[in-house]
Amino acid sequence: MSQSSQPASILDTGHVAFMTSGVSINVAARDAHNIPTLTRALGCRVSADRCTVTVFVAVPDAARLLDNLRINGAIAVVFSQPSTHHTIQLKGSDARVVAREPDDPVLFENFIVALAADLAHYGWMESYVRTMLSHDDENIVAVAFTPNAAFNQTPGPAAGAPLASTGTP
Amino acid sequence: MTLTIDSIRDCFDGAIPGLIATCSADGVPNVSYVSEVHYMDSEHLALTFQFFSKTRENVLANPFVTVMLLQPHTAAKFRIALRYLRTETEGPLFERMKAKLAGIASHSGMSGVFVLRGADVYRVLSLERVPGRTLPPPPSAINMLSALRACTQGLTNAADLDQLIDQTLTSLERHCDVRHAMLLMFDEPGKRLYTVASRGYEVSGVGSEIAMGDGIVGVCARERTPIRLTHTTSDYVYGRAIRESAAQAGFADRLETEIPFPGLAAPGSQLAVPLTLGSRLLGVLFVESPDEMRFGYDDEDLLAALAAQLSMAIHILQSSPEVHEERVAPPPRRAPAGGPAIPIRYYPADHSIFIGENYLIKGVAGAIFWKLVRDYEREGRTEFSNRELRLDPSIRLPDIADNLEARLILLTRRLAERSSDLGIEKTGRGRFRLRVAGSVKPVQIADSAH
Repeated sequence: MSQSSQPASILDTGHVAFMTSGVSINVAARDAHNIPTLTRALGCRVSADRCTVTVFVAVPDAARLLDNLRINGAIAVVFSQPSTHHTIQLKGSDARVVAREPDDPVLFENFIVALAADLAHYGWMESYVRTMLSHDDENIVAVAFTPNAAFNQTPGPAAGAPLASTGTP
Repeated sequence: MTLTIDSIRDCFDGAIPGLIATCSADGVPNVSYVSEVHYMDSEHLALTFQFFSKTRENVLANPFVTVMLLQPHTAAKFRIALRYLRTETEGPLFERMKAKLAGIASHSGMSGVFVLRGADVYRVLSLERVPGRTLPPPPSAINMLSALRACTQGLTNAADLDQLIDQTLTSLERHCDVRHAMLLMFDEPGKRLYTVASRGYEVSGVGSEIAMGDGIVGVCARERTPIRLTHTTSDYVYGRAIRESAAQAGFADRLETEIPFPGLAAPGSQLAVPLTLGSRLLGVLFVESPDEMRFGYDDEDLLAALAAQLSMAIHILQSSPEVHEERVAPPPRRAPAGGPAIPIRYYPADHSIFIGENYLIKGVAGAIFWKLVRDYEREGRTEFSNRELRLDPSIRLPDIADNLEARLILLTRRLAERSSDLGIEKTGRGRFRLRVAGSVKPVQIADSAH
């Protein structure tokens, strides 16, 4: 599926602001036998037209996930803010490895600082969060996809429903 | 060293939510949070089924899932491949997970949202450690095995049930740093548990009762399974709901509510383990702490192993013959009466006893005390044997043979707490003495007067 086949993004600027605010990000893929795998991501970037979402994963941790994505492109990404439980999930079918950008390390650092600040709500130490997200910059791989479905996954009665507009264009 | 599920049990304590990846039959992956991953054994884990979600739909269509967990303290990450087997909606596993989830929900501000619909049982297919830096694990304050050994050793030295109970609570404090504990025995006909000993509370609460199924102790007893709470939750508070559930069960009038249940006002962690012999419930050993996450899987194992030893020791004591031949002794002289007689009121409807205006006890222990006092008043007798109590038709309760000694401990301790003029002293195996300072004035109150 090419990016141009998406007439408009299913995300609004409110969703993008949430996804890029330093919330916890986890990525799932599946192999040819529909066996799923998952890994933690180190941040997220969204294109200006909101049609391309890029997440960052580390090898060798994400090796199997990347193998799966290269074969079938099926991806699920969950974004969750620990302090509020606010959670959304995006799906895509065209996930692929893309080139990194020069300022990515800044994005990773900002991501860790923001997530650590939120997890401090539960008494987590920043040293713990930094250990959890420890990585070598050169081992980070960028994975981009076009979200073709989005769901609210905040625990509660509305969990699983298609993502509603945040009221921002 | 091979990585095993058993070696990462602290990942399953519910401190940090896990993640689960599933895949639909048509190949769409899904990733979601899972509040609780519960360790069952080295080959099985159970996950909470809370919502009719995409995860649920996928699992039923494609049983292969992957879970990722974070280790508290070290930040090590683990990926576990699982295969869904079945869902349990009642019974010990369900109740254990329900209790733990209530604590997790309370801790994360999700009370009322996190509701357990089922315990999904999975077989472990593989376990891998995700590469990455980790923090050093904190040093363990207690070596659980040596603590268990010391506790067990203590039990073998106990000569009777009284010593056995005291030794258990003393050992828990000394060797396991458990500072708040209580032991409750099971009253099978009454479908309740009564406290016979406690440690670490302002008032002992000896004689207080808990209905089956009520609070963490009651659920532990009903399901015959350990229940462990790693966080405070009002869902499992005992006491508050006692009267309500007792009223529903139709025996509010019979459940002991005069004696308040001991227990911490703001517990952080609680653990109850059943004392059982086969399917037979003897009682519950209960421990708690003001700290959250105080009791882990290892603590539960230790307490369960100790409870098994304790159950066997109780069984052996109950099975060994008491002195059966009645000692031929002259009736002891009644102690010289000095001062006014101690007024004792007895209400036969529920066998409740009052010394002066002070409530003492009711139920079986009350019936026993009434017999002792009446015999003392009529014959001046102070020496008694367990055997005669067992045979006495006035104490006609079906479980008396099994629980007499526990009832006597309860009565002895209540007397020690409530009266300086009356007491019970052990004089030998299966024998005891009623100590009375002065004379007594027992009065039986007609049923209608109560």
